[in-house]
Amino acid sequence: MLIGSPNCGKTLLFNRLTGLRHKVANFPGITVEMASGPMPDLPGVTLVDYPGSYSLQPLSRDEIVAVDEFKRGLRDPDVSHVICVIDVTRMEKSLYLTLQVIRLARRSGKRVLVAANMIDVLESHSIDLDFEGLSRELDAPVIPVSARTGSGIERLLETLREPLDEGTRLEPAGDIEVRADLLVQQAAHGLARRYGPNSDVLVRSQHRLDAFFLHTWFGGLAFFAIMFLLFQSIFTGAAPAMDAVETGIAAMAGWVVPLLPDGIAADFTSDALFSGVGAFLVFVPQIFVLTLVVGLLEDSGYMARAALICHRPLRFFGLTGKSFIPMLSGVACAIPGVYAARSIDSPKKRRLTYMAVPLMPCSARLPVYALLIAAFIPSTTAAFGFVGLQGLAMFLIYFLGLVLGLVVAGLAARRDRDPTPDVPFVLEMPPYRMPGLVPLLRQSLHRSGDFVTRAGGVILGVTVVVWVLGYFPNGGTDLQSSWLAIIGRTIEPVFAPLGLDWRYGVAILTSFLAREVFVGTLGTIFGIELADADMVPLIERIHNSGLEAASGFALLVFFSMALMCVSTLAVLARETGSWKLPLKMFLVYGAAGYLGAVAVYQVLSLDVFGV
Amino acid sequence: MDMQASAGGIDVQSEAVLWQLNKGSRAVIIGFDGAMPVEYSSRLSEMGFHIGETVTCLLRPGFGCPRVYRVSNTVYSLDEDLAAFIRVIVDG
Repeated sequence: MLIGSPNCGKTLLFNRLTGLRHKVANFPGITVEMASGPMPDLPGVTLVDYPGSYSLQPLSRDEIVAVDEFKRGLRDPDVSHVICVIDVTRMEKSLYLTLQVIRLARRSGKRVLVAANMIDVLESHSIDLDFEGLSRELDAPVIPVSARTGSGIERLLETLREPLDEGTRLEPAGDIEVRADLLVQQAAHGLARRYGPNSDVLVRSQHRLDAFFLHTWFGGLAFFAIMFLLFQSIFTGAAPAMDAVETGIAAMAGWVVPLLPDGIAADFTSDALFSGVGAFLVFVPQIFVLTLVVGLLEDSGYMARAALICHRPLRFFGLTGKSFIPMLSGVACAIPGVYAARSIDSPKKRRLTYMAVPLMPCSARLPVYALLIAAFIPSTTAAFGFVGLQGLAMFLIYFLGLVLGLVVAGLAARRDRDPTPDVPFVLEMPPYRMPGLVPLLRQSLHRSGDFVTRAGGVILGVTVVVWVLGYFPNGGTDLQSSWLAIIGRTIEPVFAPLGLDWRYGVAILTSFLAREVFVGTLGTIFGIELADADMVPLIERIHNSGLEAASGFALLVFFSMALMCVSTLAVLARETGSWKLPLKMFLVYGAAGYLGAVAVYQVLSLDVFGV
Repeated sequence: MDMQASAGGIDVQSEAVLWQLNKGSRAVIIGFDGAMPVEYSSRLSEMGFHIGETVTCLLRPGFGCPRVYRVSNTVYSLDEDLAAFIRVIVDG
C-alpha cells in the first residue's frame, strides 16, 4: 500500500514502480481514486495507491475514500507492506500522517517503509539531510528516492524484497481507531525541525514567482493572458498538424478507394470511413494541443495560483477557488473534472461544481466548435497579426461555457436554503516546477489517444448505422429518398426554428450518444450525397450545403449548453449517489440549449444584423 | 501588552488575528477562536498551523483574495473565513 499527504509525489512513485501511467500533476488533490497495479520488479506483488490525505482524520471526500480503504487494507492478511511517501522539501506536513500510519500499521502487523521523495530537489540545492537519523527515530527504513528521476528506486525495491521478520507479523488489530493526537503533532514538528531542510531557499524561489503571478494587478492580467494563449494555441498550434492529417486522409482515400471494385465496398470506404471517421480524426491534433497546454499548467504549479485568483469571483457564484481545478480539468473532459471535484471539502460547493463542470467546453465539443468556427469565421488576423479571429472566436465560445457554468452555479446557490456553515478555503501552494517535456508529451499523447479510442468506437458504430440508412434502399444514388432522409424529415420540424434541415437534425440526434459524433455523421451524410471521387474537406461541404451563419451560431449555442454525454451523466450519478441531479441537468440544460439556439437564430436572422 | 515596535501598522508583540498580518510580517500562533469548528482547527494543526508555530504572511493579493502564508517550508493560501479565526502574537 502506498500512502502519503497530498502532492508528495505518490502517484509518480506508483507509476515508476508499476510502469503504469496514471495522471500526475503539480497540485494537491489530483489523485481522487484508488489505483492498483502489479510491480514488474517484484513478481506477484500488487501495489495500491491511495488518494493523498493530511492525516487519518479525513475531511474531504477523497480523504474519506483514502482513509477508509487504507484501514480496510490494514485488515487484509495479504497486505504485507505500507510505503509511506513523504515530501522531503516540506517534511512537517508529511510527518504527521507518517507517524499516524506507522503506529497504526504496526498494530496491524504490517511493515512500514518511508519513501523520502523529491530528493532531486534537495540535491539541486546541495542540501543534505540525515535520513539515517530519521530512520532511527521512526524505527522504520527511510529511503531517499526521486520518483521523477528514478534515483533510489532500486534501494526501495531491495528493501521491499527483504524477508519479513517473524516478529513483525503481529495479530491484525480488530477495530482500528485513530484520534487527533497533540503528542503526534509535536513529535512531527520536532522531527521536521531536526531532520528537515532548514534552508528557506526552496520557498524563496517560489516566492519570487508568486509575487508576480499573485500580484493584485499583474496576477489577474497574467491569468487572462495564459487562458487566452491556451485557446489561441488550439488553433494556431494545431493548424499544421490538422492540415497534415487532412492531406494524409485525402491521400490515403485517393490510394485505397480506386483499389476497390466499384459499388458498395468502395462507397462504404469512401463515405463512411474516410469522410465520416476521417472528418473526426482531423480534429485530434487540437485535442492533443489542448491536453498539452492544460498539462503544462498542471505540472508547473500554476493551477493552485489560478485557484487562488479565482476564489473571490467564484465565491460570488457560490463556488470556491478549488472549483477552478475541476472546471479546467473539465475543459479536457468532464469526467475527470467531475472526479476532481472530490477534493472540494464543502459538500455544497462540490454539488455546485458538479453542475458547472459539464458546461465547460470539453474535448468532445472541440471538433464541433472547430468545424463551425472554421466554416463561418475567416482565418484572418487582427491586432497586427497577433490575434487570430478563429482563435478569438474559440476563446469567446469557451468563455461562454465558463459564464454559463457560473450562472447556473450562482442561481442554484441562491436557491439553496441549507443553513449549515460552509467549509472555509485553505489550499497548499505547491512549488513551481519546470514541466518535463518528454513526460508531458507522453501524457498528452496518452490522453488524446485515450480520447480517440473511447470516441472512435462510438463514432465508427454510428457512422456505419448512418451510412446504411443513408445508402439504402437506392444504393446511394439519391440521399433525399433514403431511409435516413425519411427519419430526418420526421424530426426536421424540431430543428426548423434553428434554420437547420434534416441532415443537421440527424447529426444532432446522433450526437446525443457523444457530441463528437456530430462531425462524423455530417461527414458520412455529405459523403453519400456528393459521392465525389476527391475528398473535399467537411468545412467546404458545409459551406456548399447552404447552412446560414445564423444557424451555425445557433448550433454553437446549442452545443455549449446541452449535456449530451452519457458517460458524464453516469459518472455524475455515481458521484452524487442518485440519478436525480444528472437527469435534471440533462433536461434543463437540453431545453436551455434548444431555446437559446432558437433565440440566437431568430435574432441573427433579422435583417439588421445582415448575418 | 508592551508595544515594542510597529510591523506595518500592527504593533509588534500585540495580539491580532492572522488575517490582519501585513505582507512580510511574522507572528506566532497562540490559539484558535472558539467559534471555529474543531475539525478545522485540527486540520490546520496537521498542516503546521499549530500553537507556538511561527507564520509569515508572504502575500496579500488585493480584492479580498485569500492571503498567502508560510509555515515551516510549506506555503498555504487561507481565506478570511479561516485566517480571521487564528489568533497570533505579532513577532516582527
